[in-house]
Amino acid sequence: MHKLRLKFSKNGPIKFIGHLDVMRYFQKAIRRADIDVKYSEGFSPHQVISFAQPLSVGATSDGEYMDMTVNSMTSTQDIMDRLNSVMNEGIKILAVTELSDKDGKAMTSSFAARYKLSFRENLMPDFDWTSEFEKYISQDKLPAMKKTKSGEKEIDMRPMIFEYSLDKDAKELDILLSMSSAATLKPTLLFEGFFAFEGKEFNKNALKIHRVDTYKEGFEGEKHYTEPFITDDTSKRFYLSDAQV
Amino acid sequence: MNYNLALSDDILLSIEKPERYIGNEVNSVTKDKSKVDIRFAFCFPDVYEIGMSHLGIQILYGMFNSYEDVWCERVYSPWTDMDELLRSKNIPLFALESQDPVKDFDFLGFTIQYEMCYTNILQVLDLSGIPLLTKDRTWDDPIVIGGGPCTYNPEPIADFFDIFYIGEGETRYRELFDLYKKAKAEGISREDFLHECAKIPGIYVPSLFDISYKEDGIIAEIRPVYDDIPATIKKEMCLDLNDMFYPTKPVVPYIKITQDRVVLEVMRGCIRGCRFCQAGQLYKPLREKNVERLKKLALEALANTGYEEISLSSLSSSDYTQLPELIDFLIEHCNEKKINISLPSLRIDAFSLDVMSKVQDVKKSSLTFAPEAGTQRMRDVINKGLTEEDILRGSQQAFLGGWNKVKLYFMLGLPGETDDDILGIGDISNKIAALYYETLPKDKRNGRAIDIVASTSFFVPKPFTPFQWARMNTKEEFLDKANKTRKGIMAQINQKHIKYNWHEADASMMEGVLARGDRKLCKVILEAYKKGCIFDAWGEYFKFDVWMDTFKECGVDPFFYTTRNRTDDEIFPWDMIDAGVTKAFLLREWHASQEGKKSSNCRQQCLGCGAASYGVGVCKEGRNNA
Repeated sequence: MHKLRLKFSKNGPIKFIGHLDVMRYFQKAIRRADIDVKYSEGFSPHQVISFAQPLSVGATSDGEYMDMTVNSMTSTQDIMDRLNSVMNEGIKILAVTELSDKDGKAMTSSFAARYKLSFRENLMPDFDWTSEFEKYISQDKLPAMKKTKSGEKEIDMRPMIFEYSLDKDAKELDILLSMSSAATLKPTLLFEGFFAFEGKEFNKNALKIHRVDTYKEGFEGEKHYTEPFITDDTSKRFYLSDAQV
Repeated sequence: MNYNLALSDDILLSIEKPERYIGNEVNSVTKDKSKVDIRFAFCFPDVYEIGMSHLGIQILYGMFNSYEDVWCERVYSPWTDMDELLRSKNIPLFALESQDPVKDFDFLGFTIQYEMCYTNILQVLDLSGIPLLTKDRTWDDPIVIGGGPCTYNPEPIADFFDIFYIGEGETRYRELFDLYKKAKAEGISREDFLHECAKIPGIYVPSLFDISYKEDGIIAEIRPVYDDIPATIKKEMCLDLNDMFYPTKPVVPYIKITQDRVVLEVMRGCIRGCRFCQAGQLYKPLREKNVERLKKLALEALANTGYEEISLSSLSSSDYTQLPELIDFLIEHCNEKKINISLPSLRIDAFSLDVMSKVQDVKKSSLTFAPEAGTQRMRDVINKGLTEEDILRGSQQAFLGGWNKVKLYFMLGLPGETDDDILGIGDISNKIAALYYETLPKDKRNGRAIDIVASTSFFVPKPFTPFQWARMNTKEEFLDKANKTRKGIMAQINQKHIKYNWHEADASMMEGVLARGDRKLCKVILEAYKKGCIFDAWGEYFKFDVWMDTFKECGVDPFFYTTRNRTDDEIFPWDMIDAGVTKAFLLREWHASQEGKKSSNCRQQCLGCGAASYGVGVCKEGRNNA
């Protein structure tokens, strides 16, 4: 038995497929690829697969993750090739690694997500949003009302923003946001706050969201960092400050 | 993958289920449009989840796309939110694969499966920018063609269609496409093209038929306007289903649809001859598929789709002679691959109970019986060969096997129905409940009570059935009968274990009007659509009052089509269609039903229905017609 983690992209029209349907899509793709996936016990057995964090409908991604347990395989490369041969173009398996028993599930161990955010061409804000965003984000506190199961509560978004950079020419924001079971900041909530600060109406369908990668947390001695789930590149590590934990 | 969607991202994000409109599903077919001669837009005029569940489109979609010169794409009715958006933004309706406007296609085909979708046909034409009436169309518009069971009486929608294809789609489309290519190459007029089409077997061109009426509104004569086209159009049929294309790469949707599984059609047609059933007559004679081929098709389709479920499809799967072999094979393969098997339309007996206990969780599943009527007398009238003894024996075996849920289906408003027949529904429901307690002592029930759900639908007489002459009940009669049924159930000892469901009567009445309607209904349907009638098959959108107002304004009496008594020699609107069964046979059956006489099924004895003229299937099995 092997526990595997798969990294995949979601681009093109497939961005309109909701999270549950992406799961169903994978269940069928795994059957088409004839992978010896493990099934749960019981009268209606299901494949032992689980996904990291849902991506909102309309967002694209180059860093989605899924865990899958297989009874047997020839190699992780073979798993990747088999799946890619039955995939729709918009979803591509980018990497497959084998997990050890001590690794937690992708679902519970995701910690942050890097996004590239911009506006759809036909729905650009009528103001210089990149310059304004710089002013907005330089505040010490960024209050927002977050919807919870039992209503709404006020939160401060600032510590959930780990780092960011603005490309003023391309009018694009690169931003690393907290995304864990303890604290998740969605790009739309941040932009709602930003537009409220500007006194402008925010159309959430105008925001173009691309998830660059999903991050897990790690420790290097005393230092707490976050890095993409699957990476060999330590330069992608982001070291967290005390306030950001 | 087609990245150029017809709709912008923000539009798709503002509506329910954008997956309905983006195409690009697994196994959908994309071709280079510059390299094909014919672009065919195939429409099921209802919402995506319903339309995508239809086997017929999957068959013809795969078959058309197997032709190098044809690219077939899919179109479904935009749901009401998208409908409003397309209208307000002036966006033409598009086909899913290319996302190109439907108006640019060579053909727009509709499969017409139920009468209540007629206004949705107009919606699709309208949103596409295609004139709603055949007489207003030019070569700038696609050829609008209809097929499917409702086209056996195409008259209520005759004005909207250029062509109807009568019968099974596999046989004549190639001929039609070649004629189209020739017409285009020679530059002949659209009218001349339609005239030529009318010479192809199975093709009915409604504009080439004159209908005259008597003073009482009944048809006096049906006459083709040209001498060189046939006056009757004989149903097209596959003589050997084993030679025919069958899709092993059906399109797999992203969203959950109604029939979300591999569908394996095991045979066409039915031997049973239930007198209310239209499908039973239209698809005669019964033709089985070779079991070895079915095994191969099942494996291929499962491998190509990745579906976790396979379902057998036919009108009565228990009549498939190779069923045990096929099921054993599927169980073996599917257990290993963790695939579910779904077996609808099985008669409940020792064999089917054994199979069901292998493929489903007995505790969760229920037994389904369709006695259709409450008494044996009435079941003889409708020729439903299911006896009370069959039901009770099957139930008892099932109870011993662990089942405790029973679903019963009945019809109200059958010809010659009496109060006894209506009260019989409660009686038989109670007998089944009582049998449960008799069969199982308390300690064998595992604490579970019997759970019976009895449902009634209102009977709608359909063309090409022995009941095409029958008077349909009024809404008031229907509701009164439903009320009597409810009271009859309430009076039973086990009434607290019997749940009763009944349908809306308004929609049944409307269905009854459209089912046996004539061309005078075209303007009513058109006007009702203009007043906003759409998705009539959906209770929440069906506007009965608007329909009734429209009948009044158009000077058409809806009851002419429903509650009127028809004489034996009446010319019916659909008499230009030859469905394979003769009118004389249907009349014999109508008379036999009035005498309460049962008829045999095709395997017992041939009734001489006329389908033997095709010389295939059960008619050649040798026991009869030898």
